[in-house]
Amino acid sequence: MSRMVYPYAILSGQVEAEITRVRVDGRPLDYAKISPSLRTVALDADRDGWQEAVCDVRAVLPEEEIAYGPWSELACVAVLEEPSTNTRTVQRLARDRASGTWQGAVRLRRSRHRSRATLGIRVVAAVDGVRGRIVGWSETDWVIDLRAEIPVRDKEIRIVETDFRDGPYVWLRRLKDAPWMVDVSGDLPTVYLNRGVEGLTALLRGSGTVERATAALLNAQIVSDVWETMFHSAVSDIDSDEEGRPRMPGGWRESVLEAMLPDVLPGLSPADAIVELRARREEGYGWTELQSRIQYAAALRAQLPKQLAATLRLTARPPQGDHR
Amino acid sequence: MVDETEDFGPWLARQLRRHGMTQSELAATLQVTRAAVSAWITGRAHPRPETVRLIAAAFATDLATVYERTTDVVAGRPVTWYHRPAHADGGREFGNAAAFAFDADLGVLAREATQNSLDERRDPTRSVRVRYILHELTGEHLGSFLSALQWESLKPHYAAAMATDQKVGRALAEGLREMEASGSLLLLRIDDHNANGLTGPEYDDGRFSAVVRRQLDSHKGDNRRAGGSYGLGKATLWAASRLGLVLMNSTLSVPHEGRTARRLIGRLDLPWREVDDEAFAGPAWFGEPDSDPAFENVSRSWWGTEQEATSLHLEREGEDPGTSFLVVGAHDAAAVAAGDEGLQAMHDKLCDSLAENFWAAMTGTDTAPPLLEASVRTLRNGAELIPETRVSPEQRRPALARALRAYLTGETVATLSGRTDVVERAVRLTVPPRRADGKGATAVTHDAVLLLTPADDNDRTHSRVVSMRGNRMTVTSRKPRDLGLGVEPFQAVLLAGFATARDGDDVVRAEVFLRTSEPPEHNRWEWTDELSDTYVRGAKKRLDEFRVAVDDAVRAVVGVRATAPADDGGPELLRSLLKLVPATGGGRTSARRSRGYPTVDDIDGEVDTTGAWSLRVRVAVPQQEDSWHLTPIACFGSGIPVRWAELTATENCSFAGDVLVVAPGVRYAMFGGVTDVDSHPVAAERTNITVSLRKAVEGAARR
Repeated sequence: MSRMVYPYAILSGQVEAEITRVRVDGRPLDYAKISPSLRTVALDADRDGWQEAVCDVRAVLPEEEIAYGPWSELACVAVLEEPSTNTRTVQRLARDRASGTWQGAVRLRRSRHRSRATLGIRVVAAVDGVRGRIVGWSETDWVIDLRAEIPVRDKEIRIVETDFRDGPYVWLRRLKDAPWMVDVSGDLPTVYLNRGVEGLTALLRGSGTVERATAALLNAQIVSDVWETMFHSAVSDIDSDEEGRPRMPGGWRESVLEAMLPDVLPGLSPADAIVELRARREEGYGWTELQSRIQYAAALRAQLPKQLAATLRLTARPPQGDHR
Repeated sequence: MVDETEDFGPWLARQLRRHGMTQSELAATLQVTRAAVSAWITGRAHPRPETVRLIAAAFATDLATVYERTTDVVAGRPVTWYHRPAHADGGREFGNAAAFAFDADLGVLAREATQNSLDERRDPTRSVRVRYILHELTGEHLGSFLSALQWESLKPHYAAAMATDQKVGRALAEGLREMEASGSLLLLRIDDHNANGLTGPEYDDGRFSAVVRRQLDSHKGDNRRAGGSYGLGKATLWAASRLGLVLMNSTLSVPHEGRTARRLIGRLDLPWREVDDEAFAGPAWFGEPDSDPAFENVSRSWWGTEQEATSLHLEREGEDPGTSFLVVGAHDAAAVAAGDEGLQAMHDKLCDSLAENFWAAMTGTDTAPPLLEASVRTLRNGAELIPETRVSPEQRRPALARALRAYLTGETVATLSGRTDVVERAVRLTVPPRRADGKGATAVTHDAVLLLTPADDNDRTHSRVVSMRGNRMTVTSRKPRDLGLGVEPFQAVLLAGFATARDGDDVVRAEVFLRTSEPPEHNRWEWTDELSDTYVRGAKKRLDEFRVAVDDAVRAVVGVRATAPADDGGPELLRSLLKLVPATGGGRTSARRSRGYPTVDDIDGEVDTTGAWSLRVRVAVPQQEDSWHLTPIACFGSGIPVRWAELTATENCSFAGDVLVVAPGVRYAMFGGVTDVDSHPVAAERTNITVSLRKAVEGAARR
């Protein structure tokens, strides 16, 4: 989507949203789990058995503009959404005369959500005699992460260190010789590192010159594997809409495509790029040529040139003991 | 009964002085012993009625005057300027050194003068009220003020002082030139109420002589809560005056010569100068010539009439004790604008400085008034230009003021759960024994109070610990160490000593200990000579421990996130390259520069009379040698495409059917488009519209 034009007057001033307090089943959530700067709330996976979280929301609207503008019957609502469960909760906020802000409490039922909900503000008003028009919205939504322990907006891919031979993941036993394994089937991609391969995890954390030189390359290798696998998974998830046009997948797959497409198909907008991708995949032409582009894009994600340079720099030195 | 009758003793002493009559001379006239006169003056005895009649006769006045004693029998000797003669040793001073320690900065003046008022608070159950009044005088108003000031008699002194080619001479010349050129003079009045006023004798130790007669004398010995103890602050008053001239009117909290109201005096600071072949050193005073032989003709403070106070712009409101300082020719070195704009800027600067430096002292609760109330007002020729602005603690430091208020009302919490919550933690300070306490003395522990709250969105400075003691003056503001990354912005205050608003021996000891550890700038707690002289070994270590304890307490509250490991961990290097940034949705964020592909830069439009959308679209393209072939697609709402009825190239482009052909080598193109009403799924005025671009494919359009 690009810029929208409205056939009626909308707010030009900013609409700010903030979650000021969260209670989980009546118990207040530690404020350290709320990050106003990242606009993220971590609801903490460890708390089991909770039913409902209540978020106190505060919105600041451009009141002066509203007072002199053509809007009437103005209402301000908080919208809580999660696309993966197709949930949408709308809560009206009430204007607090003392502070001039709009406040209210939004209920998040655990049964209706899965991993990450977003919360935004919409301002609705009657304009030119038509009621219920959207005239303003908050620029950046808040993310309410149901599983995270700490409020971080960027998702980190899960890294699990386990012994493939006898670890808790039975399905990895067949792959006991693999040093690592990327699983992209879940909600979030997971990298399994094989503890059964002696010295692998220690090497990746190494601090000596030799370890660091090797770890840089090995890291780049693993990371580019992960990005390549994620990209293929994302491409295979491109659906079609009613008109038969390809549609961007959701969740982490969208993030992966957005990050890598400019390197895979330079000069194309993401929308054009997925048309091209699907065409090549289905019609077969140019799909093979594309593979090297994907590998190249994954290597860039893994910062392969930089890691390689680090390795070369560290190994080019005459050995003077491990720790310097 | 409130009347202005003085005690007989002081009144009689003054009458004698004014008549230039000694006690013995009066005794001889009355035919009594000198001891009897002395007893009346010291209040040990009272004269009998027939003697009173003789006294009246001796002063050639009526009985009523002697009984009422509301006036003097002789009008005071006329008020005049007294210029201190040059030192006999020929030494020359070129201005008040203390005044030069400060630039003429109204912000600094407001800070120092207000701190002094705060330190002089009289009734501890009420606030000190401080009021700043900027008053610009022109024309007639200026004329009558200058004549009340006996300006003509000062002119030769200014002329002589300007002639000395010293820094101060040049500054005076500039000030006088400006006054001549603009025909206006700016007065800055600083009033305090519920303060001690300038008490004490004319020349000996006391508040009056500390301010009026001496430099660098702080006279704060009896105030344990005082901020500075170097007496530099008052010099800012003279530094702020382009003419080096400050007038004072004080209502005393303790009577002097039996009186309290309208003790008036002026002081002018000029460099060494020669006028009419006579050399003068430094200061001059405006007052009543002293008849005391020891101070013959030195101008001393006088008890002014209401009319005198008014004509000098020194009249005070009410009878509450305190002092009014009038800075004549006030200026600010940083001020650039003149006229109304300049006055507004100075008004704002005063408000800002007060809010910035005294938010803590101005914070109160429903039951306990704040230590300080402050306001700023601006006048021109007696008429209000900018109405009185009450300075509020929230103006500059809303989150800090909130934290302090929560503490004072007992509304702090144990753990942060909301935006406006305030966490309170005790931080222990060990106060070592003093050397003077002797061998058996032990250290005492003082629980300082750390208050912490999330920062407000608008806070410019945050994530620092503001430390205060005494009457809540800020001593340090520093960033805690080792907080780690990812800590949300916060505001923290550390209250120690009297600032905790508690009582007790540990409070007093902590206050003294911390004050001893402050350098003259009062801006940190560290090792000082005085500290090692006063306290047993190890005092510095206690300060270090205290600082570490504060950092630990802050970290315990806000550093949780930084120390919590991410679930599952994994090697750091690996994790850092495996981050997923949330998708932007392909352009919902504001236009990023050069994406490497064509984008719609801007759309503008309206629904025309036929019900079609009429749009003007600007397209940004990466520069290339071939032309771009693009298909503009208009979509309603959440992505329902509509057809074009008309497409018109406006700039840098042409159309081949529905395909936009952007000219080679350009960076942008503009076109207009009208939608086809028949393809609208709903009426145009019911929905929003957007335009996106697809790469056009030759031959059959691939959808």
